Amino acid sequence: MNKIYTPQKEDFEFIGERNINIDLNFASQGYWKGVAIHFLRNKFAVTGVILVGIIILFAIFAPILSSYSYQEIISITDSSGKEIVAKSLTPQIADSESQKIFSDKTFIFGTDDMGRDLWTRTWQGARVSLIIAFVTIFIDMLIGTSYGLISGYFGGTVDNIMQRFIEIAGSIPTLVIISILAVFMEKGIGLVIASLLITEWIGMSKIARAECLKLKEREYVLASRTLGAGNFHIIFKQILPNTIGPIITQVMFSIPVAIFTEAFLSFVGVGIVLPQCSIGSLIEAGFNNITILPYQILPPISVLAVLMLGFNLIGDGFREALAPKIEDM
Amino acid sequence: MAKYITKRILMSLLTLFLITFVLFVLIRIMPGDPFPVERMSAEMILQKRAELGLDKPILIQFSDYMSMLMQGNFGNGTSLYNGAPIKPILIKCMENSFKIGVISILFGTTAGLFLGITAALNRGKFLDGLCTVFSILGVCIPSYVFMIFLQYFFSYKIPFFPYFFDPSRFLFSSIMPSISLSLFTVSTVARFTRNEMVEVMNSDYVKLAESKGLYGFELIRKHILRNALIPIVTVIAPLVVDLMTGAMVMEKIYGVNGIGKLMVDAIAGEGIDYNYVLALGIVFSALYIGIMLILDILYGIIDPRIRIAAKETK
Amino acid sequence: MKKFLLLTLLIFATLIIGCGDESASKDKLSVMLGSNVVSLDTAQATDSASFEVIADCIDGLMQLDSDGKAIPAIAESFDISEDGKTYTFHLRDAKWSNGDDVTADDFVFAWRRHCQKAEEYSYMLGSTVACVKNADAVIKGADPKTLGVSAPDSKTFVVELDAPVSFFPALMTFPTFFPINEKFYNSLSDGTYGTSPDTFLSNGAFVLTEYLPGTANIQLKKNSSYWNADKVTLNDWQYQVVSSSDNALTSFKNGTLNVVTISGNQVEHVKQDAELSKNLNTIAAGSLNYISFNQDPKNNHGGALANANLRLAISNAVDRESLVNNYIMDGSEATYTAIPVKFAPNAETGKYFAEDQKQFSDYVGFDVKKAREYFEKAKSELNKDKFTLNLIYANDSGDTIVKVVQAIKSQVEENLPGITLNLQPMPKAEYLSKVTSDSYDIAVTNWVPDYDDPMTFFTLWTTEGCEIAEHWSNAQYDKIIADCTTGELAANYNARWAAMYDAEKILLENAVIAPLYTNANSVLISSNVKGIEFHAAGVDRVFKSVTTK
Repeated sequence: MNKIYTPQKEDFEFIGERNINIDLNFASQGYWKGVAIHFLRNKFAVTGVILVGIIILFAIFAPILSSYSYQEIISITDSSGKEIVAKSLTPQIADSESQKIFSDKTFIFGTDDMGRDLWTRTWQGARVSLIIAFVTIFIDMLIGTSYGLISGYFGGTVDNIMQRFIEIAGSIPTLVIISILAVFMEKGIGLVIASLLITEWIGMSKIARAECLKLKEREYVLASRTLGAGNFHIIFKQILPNTIGPIITQVMFSIPVAIFTEAFLSFVGVGIVLPQCSIGSLIEAGFNNITILPYQILPPISVLAVLMLGFNLIGDGFREALAPKIEDM
Repeated sequence: MAKYITKRILMSLLTLFLITFVLFVLIRIMPGDPFPVERMSAEMILQKRAELGLDKPILIQFSDYMSMLMQGNFGNGTSLYNGAPIKPILIKCMENSFKIGVISILFGTTAGLFLGITAALNRGKFLDGLCTVFSILGVCIPSYVFMIFLQYFFSYKIPFFPYFFDPSRFLFSSIMPSISLSLFTVSTVARFTRNEMVEVMNSDYVKLAESKGLYGFELIRKHILRNALIPIVTVIAPLVVDLMTGAMVMEKIYGVNGIGKLMVDAIAGEGIDYNYVLALGIVFSALYIGIMLILDILYGIIDPRIRIAAKETK
Repeated sequence: MKKFLLLTLLIFATLIIGCGDESASKDKLSVMLGSNVVSLDTAQATDSASFEVIADCIDGLMQLDSDGKAIPAIAESFDISEDGKTYTFHLRDAKWSNGDDVTADDFVFAWRRHCQKAEEYSYMLGSTVACVKNADAVIKGADPKTLGVSAPDSKTFVVELDAPVSFFPALMTFPTFFPINEKFYNSLSDGTYGTSPDTFLSNGAFVLTEYLPGTANIQLKKNSSYWNADKVTLNDWQYQVVSSSDNALTSFKNGTLNVVTISGNQVEHVKQDAELSKNLNTIAAGSLNYISFNQDPKNNHGGALANANLRLAISNAVDRESLVNNYIMDGSEATYTAIPVKFAPNAETGKYFAEDQKQFSDYVGFDVKKAREYFEKAKSELNKDKFTLNLIYANDSGDTIVKVVQAIKSQVEENLPGITLNLQPMPKAEYLSKVTSDSYDIAVTNWVPDYDDPMTFFTLWTTEGCEIAEHWSNAQYDKIIADCTTGELAANYNARWAAMYDAEKILLENAVIAPLYTNANSVLISSNVKGIEFHAAGVDRVFKSVTTK
């Protein structure tokens, strides 16, 4: 009997813009904005960003601006006026007058035992290491996250099989994997990236899986499923955005691990192909002469340490900035 | 619980079998022969391969290998150590690596826990900062660099410790290798402990305990440490495997006859010794899987909540 | 908490103090080994470290004196038949360390076993080296009893050869020809021979007291039942495996090791130190480092290296003096011949085979102008301007090779614009599989001579010859080598010597290889250690007559 009244367009009237009071002091803010504010308030985290930023800047510009190429074997004029290879020179500024001690060329970090400028090589190495780290971690993040989410979301047999696969993949010695990859690929950056890809995604997938296990029981997932959302919609549109925090934290901790692993690969002789260099290969080269030519290992070690410090500080900062939010949910 | 454990053990055995198979196939793809070939003619190489059964179909080779493995035998070397049986050599190497590994785990976790707890109790104060700096340093400096410096200063500049590892003076000569190996453990454990402790200390139940009048060591031991321990154990477990499987560089620098070095010798020599690589691969994975298994069971003991949860789901 | 802490500290303190007083005897001779001993079984050993330790413990028929001449050891004397094909060794009364007599049967057993096992070094008995009768057939599976060795009585050992081998007595100093006590061997379970002091017998100057496969520390002591025990003064001593040159130098400085081998940068450092440089000895080793060109026309880069001019161009673009003086720095010598510099002295004149380094200077040298001329010719013959070549090397042998290949890359690319060398380091096993399976362009390789005769190198480059497949074949060269090993020249020392120069000329004219340098070892020896004998071929170091004070 009671007919339901359907509102008509004419029933509404535009009354123009009114001045609505918005609380500016306690403005509601987006999740990420909050994280950013938390992060930027953290002195350590900001220091980390600055440190990493400086290294990145040097890695980009120092090799370009340097007067030597990173693989150039430099000659200098010695005290008797002869051209000799500038090998194993300690750090020095060009000195044209007293040629007995210093040469006519400037080497801020000195030269290595092949007669190449360590300043250029250090930054070139930092560049290579950073590229390797970023590329592998980015791809690992994609693979690891998807793998972990799928495994965690479906659970049961799927999870079991996928986890066993991880166990298998994780137990094969890295050296074996690299030697096999080397059959199909040329040695060099590509091989290093490929072998890091194969070994590094596992950690990422574990984090993603753990997060997914937690999140999939949440009401909003249930709601979304009731509304008819497909599995993959739920995984990638509903769960993924909420796992980004921990994953980014993990990424920040993974980057130093990747740089470290690369260094280790170079150390055991399956890394970067010389005369190309990376932080790892420079450390390895310096390591052979560590007690007699210690200045050769100091620059790459310091750059590595600063990078690690920076990324760890950023990672810590992220974790702290994200943590309260996760608990609120 | 018993059913759960049996299931987990069976699953682990299956995984181990699969790992063995994958490893077996992969090793045969690796470039290089399992014996030195530099002075052999092509004909001799073929003859040698036939002798080792490498010309058979891979599945038959694998079943041969498995039946040998079932008898608790890892076979003989092909290019290393006179083709002698692998088992005694492997055991000897594992002994060295494990002993040093255990010392460095003990040292690493004790020092790490101590640092972490100190930092957490003095949160925001000078000591906290000091511990944080130390633990970050430990993660930042590659351990092999730390190793060479330790060796340089304490065995050369101040010649107190022996320069090389010497099995006949085991404890004394393994101090330097163990300490340098534990650096990473110390800093990881310290960082983790601090963060977990801080989190637990801010939790409601600790506040409740405090308001009940508990304080000091009692509070830390009964309420804080116990709850902080679970994630810490999770972090330590994989480190244990890493340490036990031997650090290749450490073994090289200090001249330790361990399994890390054995692995490098088996892969990087004139011939890839298939049987050693396989045996080591199996041992590594078995260790890893075994420790994960123990960890799962341990969780139940440390954390009553999991024990109860496991009962409920049964 | 505090108590707990205190306890931990206490435990560590007791550990440290408790163990501190066990001082190692510093006066014990400690010698560095550059790499692991892979095997103490003479049939299976392939590396110089293993050969060295075996030779410390076992004496063969002959031994090398301090000048590298073969003198009798277990054999008191030997007779050669008129055609030079039968050697009769008369053994002295020597004993194994378990009290058994060393008999001719021990040699027969060991030699047959080597052929039968057909491991890498069994080629030493075959037709390219010792020419023992039927050795090749036994290696391929024939009855080991047909091998041309026999023991008419327990103190007489007779070897029949297929061809006269002028350096046969010198060969007998090589571990492959050492005896094994048959009875003792058979009493051991399979594969355990030589894996511990209990499973290994000495008849030589020293016995093992501590050894495990893969161990970094090997302990030896004097063998009191050694036939020449009066001459051995060294009692307890040890080997320590050290793979880093920097480690070696510091452990020498601190007195942990008494004999260490160091590489370039460390040598430079030592030379600046007046005290240390007194201990520095440069010892010529006989191994040759050379560039091997893959000349297979079907090879991956269109067989560019099948072109002799391209090879000559590369060979002439490498400044070997700079390599040696700037990068290797351990006393290695630049080499312009296919045979290392201080190697294989002529039995009559005493002059080294490669004494005259200038004799092939038309083809091998450093001359950028000439190199570019060759390169222009190669470019027009191949119709190509740019060449990208893969240079492979094994990276297991320290940092010297790494520096050498980088210097070669830099020199070749600078002197011959248009050539790009891609450096490809790899583990030894992979490297060997690449060079034997033809998947490389250029390899920087090294050959360690097994015996003191140029033939240990020349047989590498015959068509049949070697594993490292240069894919070069020259009928004339093959004929000369065949004549010299088993053919008509084998018995004529001088004609054979001259013919080998002809072979070398063919080799270098075609730039089949580009010789780089002859290795040397820079060895630091404590001033109280005297009498270590160094040899260019076979067993590198002999410690029998070492004295320490």
